[in-house]
Amino acid sequence: MTESITGSVLITVLFSIRSSAQILSPSRVKISVVIHFHFTPTLCPITAHLPSMAESSKKRRRTNTDDLPFKNKLKPDSTILQTLKDFSTSSSSSSSSSKTLTLQDLSLPFSCREVSDLSLSSVQSNIESLVLRIAHSILSGNGFAFDVPSRAATNQFYVPELDRIVLKDKSSLRPFANISTVRKSAITARILQLVHQLCIKGIHVTKRDLFYTDVKLFQDQIQSDTVLDDVSCMLGCTRSSLNVVAAEKGVVVGRLIFSDNGDMIDCTKMGMGGKAIPPNIDRVGDMQSDALFILLVEKDAAYMRLAEDRFYNRFPCIIVTAKGQPDVATRLFLKKMKMELNLPVLALVDSDPYGLKILSVYGCGSKNMSYDSANLTTPDIKWLGVRPSDLDKYKIPEQCRLPMTEQDIKTGKDMLEEDFVKKNPGWVEELTLMVKTKQKAEIQALSTFGFQYLSEVYLPLKLQQKDWL
Amino acid sequence: MDSSESPTETKKTKSKTPRKNKETVLKQKSPAEFFAENKNIAGFDNPGKSLYTTVRELVENSLDSAESISELPVVEITIEEIKKSKFNSMIGLIDCERVDAELYDDYETEKAREKRLAKEARAQEIQAKNAALGKKVKETPASKGIRGRGEASFYRVICKDNGKGMPHDDILNMFGRVLSGTKYGLKQTRGKFGLGAKMALIWSKMSTGLPIEISSSMRNQSYMSFCRLDIDIHKNIPHVHVHEKRENKERWRGAEIQVVIEGNWTTYRSKILHYMRQMAVITPYAQFLFKFVSDAPEKNVTIRFSRRTDVMPPVPLETKHHPSSVDLLLIKRLIAETSKQNLLQFLQHEFVNISKSHAERLIGEMGPDFSPKMALKSLTPQQLVRIHQLFRQAKFDDPNGHCLSPAGEYNLRLGIIKELHPDMVATYSGSAQVFEGHPFIVEAGVSIGGKNVKQGLNIFRFANRIPLLFEQGADVVTRTALKRINWSSYKINQLQDKIGIFVSIVSTKIPFKGTGKEYIGDDITEIASAVKYSIKQCCVQLKSKIVKKMQAREQQERKRNLSKYIPDATGAVYNVLKDMAETQLHASKKFRYGDDDGELLRKVYENLITKETLSEKLAKHVEQVDYEMALEYATQSGVSEEPRETIYIKPLETENKIIDLHSPFFVFRMFH
Repeated sequence: MTESITGSVLITVLFSIRSSAQILSPSRVKISVVIHFHFTPTLCPITAHLPSMAESSKKRRRTNTDDLPFKNKLKPDSTILQTLKDFSTSSSSSSSSSKTLTLQDLSLPFSCREVSDLSLSSVQSNIESLVLRIAHSILSGNGFAFDVPSRAATNQFYVPELDRIVLKDKSSLRPFANISTVRKSAITARILQLVHQLCIKGIHVTKRDLFYTDVKLFQDQIQSDTVLDDVSCMLGCTRSSLNVVAAEKGVVVGRLIFSDNGDMIDCTKMGMGGKAIPPNIDRVGDMQSDALFILLVEKDAAYMRLAEDRFYNRFPCIIVTAKGQPDVATRLFLKKMKMELNLPVLALVDSDPYGLKILSVYGCGSKNMSYDSANLTTPDIKWLGVRPSDLDKYKIPEQCRLPMTEQDIKTGKDMLEEDFVKKNPGWVEELTLMVKTKQKAEIQALSTFGFQYLSEVYLPLKLQQKDWL
Repeated sequence: MDSSESPTETKKTKSKTPRKNKETVLKQKSPAEFFAENKNIAGFDNPGKSLYTTVRELVENSLDSAESISELPVVEITIEEIKKSKFNSMIGLIDCERVDAELYDDYETEKAREKRLAKEARAQEIQAKNAALGKKVKETPASKGIRGRGEASFYRVICKDNGKGMPHDDILNMFGRVLSGTKYGLKQTRGKFGLGAKMALIWSKMSTGLPIEISSSMRNQSYMSFCRLDIDIHKNIPHVHVHEKRENKERWRGAEIQVVIEGNWTTYRSKILHYMRQMAVITPYAQFLFKFVSDAPEKNVTIRFSRRTDVMPPVPLETKHHPSSVDLLLIKRLIAETSKQNLLQFLQHEFVNISKSHAERLIGEMGPDFSPKMALKSLTPQQLVRIHQLFRQAKFDDPNGHCLSPAGEYNLRLGIIKELHPDMVATYSGSAQVFEGHPFIVEAGVSIGGKNVKQGLNIFRFANRIPLLFEQGADVVTRTALKRINWSSYKINQLQDKIGIFVSIVSTKIPFKGTGKEYIGDDITEIASAVKYSIKQCCVQLKSKIVKKMQAREQQERKRNLSKYIPDATGAVYNVLKDMAETQLHASKKFRYGDDDGELLRKVYENLITKETLSEKLAKHVEQVDYEMALEYATQSGVSEEPRETIYIKPLETENKIIDLHSPFFVFRMFH
């Protein structure tokens, strides 16, 4: 009984804030404390009242949506919520019981290279000892060379036990006095110097900043970015410990509160666009949430739809997107959420090989950054949709499906050979179906039944049926 | 231009027939009539293309004729422009002045003239403005008056060769009867249907009404045949004006054909010249003289494509049919034509790749009512069907390519070098392969650089040693070169390099697509893969050359390229050292670094080691490495960079006074 009272108290507070035109920051802090207080002990109380919460906007939105296909199959939201709750608790208990494996736990037949977060001072001293070695080598008339770990595809290895890609320890010499490596070794030296400066000053810059410090030498940003990855691999630290970050790309919205550089952020009150995921994850902390799951969205468009419809209020969740291929920050953020909040992750991606590829990058890492896969990958992501089998199940009309190009089919077939797909029989089945039908569809194909079909019918139905793989 | 003129032509011919056809009357059409109405089948779509096709057919006939007697071809082709007045006088028509100007299509109304003048004034204004701004002035084409439909241009096409000539009595049918020819057998030929020269005649009859003139003389013939004829289109028979034997004092042998047709030189000039050039590439053993003569001397063109070799490909042999390529009708015809009496002999002798024992086995397989000795005449239609079925199902050895006569790798290479002067060229000649029972051979050449070659891919296609110029986009060679070859893997830049691709396909039957015989479809996997393989082989050869060249260049530029980055590298290293030295001093943490490192940092701090010191040391290292690598390169590839060629210089006169200076190691010979 007391629980429900606390819930309603909270809701009124939320409402008053939303209606007030001006939000003063002290009150915001106060509110977040209240939320904190009520949310942490239990996840259930709010949910029972959520439908009523969205009632005001309900009139506007649900005018004539009853004729949407499959709408009649939907059970009341409370039933769906109950299933979700069961799922959430079961998944959190299962993941908490099994301790996460590390590379050291496995005895692999070859040695692997993994990096770790290093403090600024140790990065600095690493660079300094490297530079000293080079200086000695130059002065003794031997030129110099960098020993750079290879990040080629042949040096990558998928470890099924860890469910991610790891880097083997092959490396290649990058001598200065060689026509094919002279450019790269000069760039490497320059990047080392720049990072060294960052360490001394203790500031962060973006990759773009780094590139613009010596455009003439780097020529284009891809070159400086590649070498930056080489450097972090060479020094044995994560890219974030080099104090170089990428521009903000990912956004998050929904039932999440966290602190960014000391400021408390409430992601339910970030407007439609949501909160940009901060590039350096070390600023982020104090995550709290009453969500039942994390919804990973491939595309900005679908994300906007869900954010505008306040999907997270109907079914408490956190919605994240990296607008295409995920950047490092988004992956780190997702990993952190998963670890701290212990929530299941459901993914909504396009029904094409690239959608699955993006899923795989979240799940087991990209080849480019495999040296840091331990920090970047989020295990156990469920493929919610849009899956190839959904095309027929939801009777998506022909004109909204696209024929796969030869390149698509090839990518699809190649992916069938990948270990991360093979480990999940359900995925293999879906991908085989896609390659067989030679049809793909974007998330937006669902808009053919109305723009809100995604948030009104498709996702609730999917959740109700626990239709994820 | 093409499309604007052809519809009016066809409309004229069509509009006549339906009006007369009030009730349906069964009519027969002669082959000549059919082709007159469907000229486009033979490449006579419009006056311009007709001129091109006429030149082409005559040249190809000449080459065939010379090659058939193993004579190195000499072909002279002349196109003479004939002015309207001259043409009228030729046909005996008096020039008429226009009386009622408005009656004509090209009459310019007052309104149109105003419009045109305004447009011209505007153009001039723009040009003046551009000139004032110092922009490059594009030459605007001199404004021509409107060219009316009636303003046709006429050309006399003369083709003279040193070929076999024609028997006096056969000339009439060879030119005056459509679908009669000497090239109907199963062998690789340029022409095929017996259409070419006759179509030129039909076209001349349609457009000018003037007859064709043929002079010909054969070997050991004391006279020269002269013939002037046209064709009776409705009966498909020659209509002879003159057919006589004339004196042949110079013992000239060959043929000369003159025909006057309507054409369009301005629009098809480049096509015709391209054709001649490509023909010269694929037949470097022939000599061509191409002339264009008109009243305006600045428009005249004379090009000589000289002979570069006297090695000629062998004359293609006539071959027998392959069992898997025959159809029912062909079997019937072969039976009618054969001299063999019984089935066994027929199978054994009228087809390739059926030996006697094989034939016996086949007959056994045909069924109980067949026997080796049964007479051919007694075969029922059902039995023929059975033979046909078996031919389709049974397995036969592939026909070999002996009956084919490819241009040859040597000739192809010579032709490319002769006409394009490329920097590099590679050629490849594939072995014979089979498509539907017809053998084919693909030869390819790839060249890089050269004069008059555009950047990017320049594709030259040949089928049975004739160039194909039209409908390039859908052709198997174009598709292969554009889509299935990864040029960059051969160190070739598809967009920047001047790439010439030459593919010659010869076969007893070229699977042309479309009516115009202008391209080979991309849907035949056998040919597509053979083309791809041949081009790839050329590229592999080129790659090693290109890589060598790049290495040589790299060799020259290595030191410069390495030195270029010295300031960047040493600057970066030095700056880190400097920062370290400074912080070390401030923090006075002397024991943070080892002895060597501490010493180094101290020197940096005291400016004993500067950026220049580092640069100097690194430069020295680069120099040393460069020297070592140059030495290595030299030992590998020899000292000289270009391969040396042996040159022999003949003494000017055989009786030269010489003085020999002897030394233990050499003799020094001096010529006076």
